[in-house]
Amino acid sequence: MTGKTLLFAVTGIGLFFALPHMLADFQLFQVCLIAVTALIALGLTVVTGLAGQVSLAQAAFVGIGGYGAAILATRWGVPLWAGIPLSGIVAAMAGFVLGQVTLRVSGHYLALATMAVTAIVQLAFIHMDDITGGAAGMPVPSFEIGGRALTSGGELYYVIVPTTAVLFLIVGNIIRSRFGRAFAATRQSEIAVAAMGVDVLRYKALAFAGSAFLGAVGGGLLAPLASYLDPMQFGIPQSIYYMAIAVVGGLRSPAGAIIGAVVFILIPEFLQAFQSYLGLVFALLLLGFIVLWPNGLSGLIFRRPGARWWGGAAR
Amino acid sequence: MLAQLLVSSLTAGAVYALIALGFVLLHNGTGVVHFGYGDQVTFGAYLVLIAQNFVGVPFSAAIMMALLASMALGAAIYAVFMVPLRNASLLARLIATLAIGTALREWLRAFMGPNAWPFPFLLSPAPVEVGGLMLVPANLAIIGVVLVILAGLYLFFEKTLQGKAILAACENRTGASLIGVRVSRVFLVIWVVASLLATVAGILVAPLLTLSPDMGLIAIKGFTAAVLGGFSSLPGAVVGGLLLGVLEALTGAYISTALKDMISYAILIAVILVRPQGLFGGLALKKV
Amino acid sequence: MTAPLLSIQDIGVRFGGIVALDGINIDVEPGAIHAIIGPNGAGKSTLINVVTGIYTAGQGSVTFAGQTLNRLKPHDICRLGIARTFQNTELFGEMTALENVMIGAHRSGGYGPFVAATHGFGFAAAESRMRAEAMDLLELVGIAEDAAMLAGALPFGKQRRLELARALATRPRMLLLDEPAAGLRAAEIEALNNILLDLRARRGLTILLIDHVMALVLKISDRVTVLNFGRKIAEGLPAEVRANPDVIKAYLGERAANAIAS
Repeated sequence: MTGKTLLFAVTGIGLFFALPHMLADFQLFQVCLIAVTALIALGLTVVTGLAGQVSLAQAAFVGIGGYGAAILATRWGVPLWAGIPLSGIVAAMAGFVLGQVTLRVSGHYLALATMAVTAIVQLAFIHMDDITGGAAGMPVPSFEIGGRALTSGGELYYVIVPTTAVLFLIVGNIIRSRFGRAFAATRQSEIAVAAMGVDVLRYKALAFAGSAFLGAVGGGLLAPLASYLDPMQFGIPQSIYYMAIAVVGGLRSPAGAIIGAVVFILIPEFLQAFQSYLGLVFALLLLGFIVLWPNGLSGLIFRRPGARWWGGAAR
Repeated sequence: MLAQLLVSSLTAGAVYALIALGFVLLHNGTGVVHFGYGDQVTFGAYLVLIAQNFVGVPFSAAIMMALLASMALGAAIYAVFMVPLRNASLLARLIATLAIGTALREWLRAFMGPNAWPFPFLLSPAPVEVGGLMLVPANLAIIGVVLVILAGLYLFFEKTLQGKAILAACENRTGASLIGVRVSRVFLVIWVVASLLATVAGILVAPLLTLSPDMGLIAIKGFTAAVLGGFSSLPGAVVGGLLLGVLEALTGAYISTALKDMISYAILIAVILVRPQGLFGGLALKKV
Repeated sequence: MTAPLLSIQDIGVRFGGIVALDGINIDVEPGAIHAIIGPNGAGKSTLINVVTGIYTAGQGSVTFAGQTLNRLKPHDICRLGIARTFQNTELFGEMTALENVMIGAHRSGGYGPFVAATHGFGFAAAESRMRAEAMDLLELVGIAEDAAMLAGALPFGKQRRLELARALATRPRMLLLDEPAAGLRAAEIEALNNILLDLRARRGLTILLIDHVMALVLKISDRVTVLNFGRKIAEGLPAEVRANPDVIKAYLGERAANAIAS
């Protein structure tokens, strides 16, 4: 461990324990919201930014994570702390299967296929009334750990923020390893990377599995935070919303997912008087960035070489 | 019963076909797959309402204004977004068209409200009985319009020099400009025509569906229709649309209404996986 | 005579109605530098793409070291010990030259997903070993000073050398080079020749290379096969092939062949 990483770790942990004393409960709720949103967007960093496979299925995985954990808890009494990773694993398997379509299609057709998956999953939430509550949605049981129910943002903070941090570290490490290079190479030339002995289909499917896992864990953590699941929150427009966060933050680096989440969660605070324009603002942000700065805010901020992981990691 | 079902399903099919025609036109003419096209359809219908309610002109004049405005919108989309993105990655262009659609949709939600607006029929919605079948003139009109547009586009692309030049421009930009085709102007014209088509579709479809900002999400069914038809064939798009309408109606009537909505998405995935060249297309090979 | 390392038997490929390859038979001896030449459109690249699993042949079979390659995926074929370069170069343009070569060494990386996720025990050592190995290969092809350059920003001649280094990083027994000399200057071709001869001498590599001009090929090849319009029209020692009237006809046309013959 170098001195720099040590300093980084100490500051991070110090900040983690200091924040609850500095911020009000509502602000901690927002920190939690930023964390889960960043986690969901990180899934897109992996599958689209790193491996180059466009996915509009992220909202479906978020839904699978949320509904999965909630249904496991209400039906079978599985506590959320176990149900969330379990739903994450189920979603990862679904993502791996979905990734198999990349054998046949890419680009526009992949966007369409993943869109269709989102639409089908959302319709399933709506039509399986007896277990999902149908169009009306379902309440989420509270997050209990060691006999204590965590309900407020200030309490969930101690679960959500460390989980997010650990997952970000793992993804960052993988990106800076031979596997991360293989993912990035897959994006740049499938034909060449296959000639290097890399099983392209497997890597693309693994990228989808990873994005599904991150999306579902994010969705699972979002569920107790929001305390209610509404099937309308898991449709194609939400998939585009998550894509917008990842693009505006910067698709190519994990830091981009965090920056994007901060921007998209905090903007509503500054536009309190213009709530009805929020959707328009988000759409215009996405449009503006993809045309003018396709590498997003992280691409604008971390331009200097040496800041590879944070700036343009596995390019 | 079955005959009535099929006749009714043709209306839905014609709607899908109309949207699919727009996709195929843009794809063949400019190489762009426009993920925001459905929102342009919605926007076109709203343009009529805006002209009627906020400018205060009568319905027929409002339609003319909407058609003109949508042409300007198409030109603007091309000039402001597609020109700067012409050398961008496929991913960037794909996300840009999604963002254009989302921006139009959210603009409508912000300024016209999230709720549905009533939209008048161009023709009578009262059913007429012909030989035991109930026919609705307003619905039949859609099928008629689809066929007219198909014939017009088909003749233009297959029979006129200009049309062939456009196809050539899309296939090989350098080659086309060498033989004197002004590629950028061709693309501009395609965007204008496709946007006009979107508004025509919106005006016809809005009375049948619920005109709210989210109406454009129906475009994914137009995509399914286009994919069924091979994505590059105009007649294929129409056949694909009608086929999808019929399949949906049959699923809804004989299996379950819950499945009715899912079936088109399932078809989309199935066709993409099993026969990505569509029902009528041939397959291209990538050269290494 | 030893058993061939690579054996191409009766390979046929059609694209729609066009016959790209028609019953091709080629044996490559272990340790040989074997060249396939022919005019543009003769089917040379198609043949390499069949051997490396990118195209599927309609008929015939390919065996490598006794194992049939038909139906194997490109990555499986690489793992058996066949590495290749591409006609128009297929580098990972947004990565540095060094990283490109490290992708080649991906399979011999020596650590698993858990170590990658935690950067745990052995990670740093394995990474620096991969780095050193990649650096050696860049040295070998003579572009070590460009290790930190983005592959996409390198001049074409260096891109070709980088592809060679990247292919070598997969630790192959056999190299397939698709027009390695195209677009290179005379001095660069000379350097390439020396690298290839050196590779064979020191690493015992078998090399199958393709070219549409004879210049590079005839100097260093042990054996030459000539393709034209998807058919094999000649095979033999470089000198024999050069004198073959069918070959002259394929390259220079009927009248030139007659003129030389008379």
